[in-house]
Amino acid sequence: MSELALRYSRSTPRHDVQVSVPQGAVTRLHLPDDDAKAHLVTAMLKARTEPGEALELFGESTAALDTRQRERIRSRIGALSPIVGLMTNLNAWENIALPAAYHGAPALAAVAQLAHEVLAAFGAEPRDFFARVPDELGTLERKIASFIRLLVAAPELMVFDALEDGLSHAECRYAARFEAEYRARQPQGTVLYVDTKEDS
Amino acid sequence: MLPQALREVEGGVKLSLNVAVRLPKLVRAPIFESFLRQVYFTGVTAATGVILRACALGVIIIAVMMNMLDADVDLAVKILLLLVFRELGPLAAAVVVILRTGTAVSAEIAIMRVSGQTRALRYLGIDLYDYLVLPRVAGIMLATAALTFYVQFLAVLGGLVLSPFIIEASFEQLAGRFFDLFTPVDCYYSVVKSLLFGFVVAACCCWHGLNPPDLTQNAVPKVVTKAVMQSMMLVLAVNAVFAYLVFGILFFGLIKANV
Repeated sequence: MSELALRYSRSTPRHDVQVSVPQGAVTRLHLPDDDAKAHLVTAMLKARTEPGEALELFGESTAALDTRQRERIRSRIGALSPIVGLMTNLNAWENIALPAAYHGAPALAAVAQLAHEVLAAFGAEPRDFFARVPDELGTLERKIASFIRLLVAAPELMVFDALEDGLSHAECRYAARFEAEYRARQPQGTVLYVDTKEDS
Repeated sequence: MLPQALREVEGGVKLSLNVAVRLPKLVRAPIFESFLRQVYFTGVTAATGVILRACALGVIIIAVMMNMLDADVDLAVKILLLLVFRELGPLAAAVVVILRTGTAVSAEIAIMRVSGQTRALRYLGIDLYDYLVLPRVAGIMLATAALTFYVQFLAVLGGLVLSPFIIEASFEQLAGRFFDLFTPVDCYYSVVKSLLFGFVVAACCCWHGLNPPDLTQNAVPKVVTKAVMQSMMLVLAVNAVFAYLVFGILFFGLIKANV
């Protein structure tokens, strides 16, 4: 039996949510509503739960983690989610490079190389793309910029939160490329698609 | 009302300590970049706007002293020196910084807070004090000091060059007296004061930006109004305390130091 990347449960008077995601698998979750989805994604991103919730990440319960352990476990998770948007006062390149520049790793040359590769896969012209601020980017382009920023951190668990939200039918065809690009760089990584029953 | 005021004081003190502790992090690339942007926005772009006002300040001081109050060259230049270097120069620069930068910084941070961008930064492992507060506070302090020097220089130059056109004193007379009376203490005094002004303005605006009354768009104008009003009060309070420490008097002589 494979180890779990995520085990989550939440009980409310309206519904119970039970989630188990095996490591290395691709899992699609259809949660009852936006509130349930927001709670799950936020709990994962914070590696912290609210009353009524229980969360295990990579086999560790998040209930008794200290700050350093919580930081470490959070660094293994990436979420392409509206909750983790772009900085509106930075252009696309500055947004992509910000975490790497702040933490001092990886090198910006490696970030640029990765960004060029991903943009080539999506058919975007890097020079023009990098120079634009988020308000000048389309929904898909904003998701691509956020995705590259996530890839730089090489997360072991990649969460795609309502990936197709706001995309046209033509753009939705590109959505599959996100997983392929992630898999190409993290073959052992876990992919979790999250949306609500109304979306699906 | 009182708990809110205490919360603001406590928040301001914590913010100041956080900035002091994190100062070595200023050399990190994105923080230093943000610091340079702040210096550019607060200091460089504001510079052209103060040329006329600063020159007019010097001319008005000398002209009023000599024409209306019948002061001689000696007294007029002495008052120009005292007012421009010790009082009006740092105050004028602080007012420009509050109106231009204080409003922009408080609005920018409040918008980031309301739209969830500060939350995104936290999820990316980026500390808000490191990335948002430290470069703004350091940048505004440095730029306020530079802007103060610029205002003083222009006010004195404007006063000395333009006053001979409206009063009966030559440029040589005015400049001669100015350099006789000028001491480096005037410079140190205004540098320390302007750094403090910059600090209180930046700290106040960052704190209000990070702590909006609620997380709606309506909170942004409230944050800006509060930040500007409190920055102004803090600058005047620092000015009064400084006057007490240096001259031994406060509130136009109502409170006198026992020195």
